[in-house]
Amino acid sequence: MEVRSNPAADYSSGHRRPPAVQSKQPLPSPQPIDTSSVSNRLQKELMALMMSGGDLGVSAFPDGESIFTWIGTIEGGKGTMYEGLSYKLSLRFPLDYPFKPPQVKFETMCFHPNVDQFGNICLDILQDKWSSAYDCRTILLSIQSLLEEPNLESPLNSYAAALWNDKEDYRRMVHKQYFAGEALES
Amino acid sequence: MQNKEAVLEDGEIGSATATEPGFDEWDNFGDEDIMQQQSAIQAEEAKKVPFVGDKEPLCSLAAEYQSGSPILLQKIKVLDEQYAAIRRTRGDGNCFFRSFMFSYLEHILEFQDQAEIDRIKANVEKSRKALQTLGYAELTFEDFFALFLEQLESVIQGKETSISHEELVLRSRDQSVSDYVVMFFRFVTSAEIQKRTEFFEPFILGLTNTTVEQFCKSSVEPMGEESDHVHITALSDALGIPIRVVYLDRSSCDSGGVSVNHHDFMPMASDLPNASCSSVKNNPFITLLYRPGHYDILYPK
Repeated sequence: MEVRSNPAADYSSGHRRPPAVQSKQPLPSPQPIDTSSVSNRLQKELMALMMSGGDLGVSAFPDGESIFTWIGTIEGGKGTMYEGLSYKLSLRFPLDYPFKPPQVKFETMCFHPNVDQFGNICLDILQDKWSSAYDCRTILLSIQSLLEEPNLESPLNSYAAALWNDKEDYRRMVHKQYFAGEALES
Repeated sequence: MQNKEAVLEDGEIGSATATEPGFDEWDNFGDEDIMQQQSAIQAEEAKKVPFVGDKEPLCSLAAEYQSGSPILLQKIKVLDEQYAAIRRTRGDGNCFFRSFMFSYLEHILEFQDQAEIDRIKANVEKSRKALQTLGYAELTFEDFFALFLEQLESVIQGKETSISHEELVLRSRDQSVSDYVVMFFRFVTSAEIQKRTEFFEPFILGLTNTTVEQFCKSSVEPMGEESDHVHITALSDALGIPIRVVYLDRSSCDSGGVSVNHHDFMPMASDLPNASCSSVKNNPFITLLYRPGHYDILYPK
């Protein structure tokens, strides 16, 4: 739980990415797929997010050259135990987006019942309840709401779930993990 | 059937998430590997049943049940008197929408009914407005609307962009067209249900124990979610298109005689053009064959 297997790679978010990441960008698939409609939609989502996202405490931007890989940021909601903290997430859009959801994970250490030690998120709209009616903005807003309204019934982090009602200790763990992650990053 | 599925879905939420393999193994798992594997699976599926199959004589249906239930065979005999052919669709949870798509576009292509095209376009715009009013971001649905309208235009003959029946079949099998149109219908269906919440609420409560909005989010909008009478009613109402569903199941009536039930989904009267109201009422031009869990297209004699 404390340290990720390869923190250096996991936390090297931001503007410079290690060269290895380049190879993870979508490669031409064996069958010709027209990706222009997908990148068109992603461009539109980016524009919409830049116009409105900031007010809502969420933002995202392509990470490097590819429009298929983004870095998002979520501000912890006011009055919640995540207030004042800012979380980085990675979003990887598949070539058949928006028929399939992007892969989203926390890049900042996040202590939460529905987030595991690797940053994986358990949220139905990112799995079987995904539909094309969602977009990057609604995904980030849903994750922001998830922070303050966890689903305690099927936790990925059962310690966090057990601690949820003990606000004092819970907040301490949230901060401890957040700043531990930051220390690793710098 | 739908209820059973819902339970299955629910059961999967937890485990699907917990066993999600690769997030921490992104570095080891090449995109190209996953893509190749996915497209291999899809290609294999497609070989078995394309999204929309060829037109087959109705006797191909009887062949399926040769050693099966005598009631079904008797019913197929009854069907054989009224229907000439069947066109199968892939059982991927989208079969109702896919059958509807092909059947409707094929009808327009064959009859070149300009009045019908004008009428449906007006209804499509109403759906667009409904989605806007409901707060859907334009960018999430506009591509699907545009692609459907493009297909509608292309089946009108005598233009540069006109397509043949053969091309319509090919496009219906092409995922990049077919899935977009299916998703368009899902948006239209969802908008209609949410626009008339009071009307649909009792039906939805009968199926699942959720709110109307939750039902749309989890059982209408995601691809692959199967359709029930709620979806059919909503789509028929939204677009103003009557749909006949013929039921092929093991049920039999007490009187002993074998008959095949059907139900006509008639759009609300206000949506039908007055002049053609009666003729439309007599002849839904879309006929689907329902077998528990699946829809195919039927062609009347």
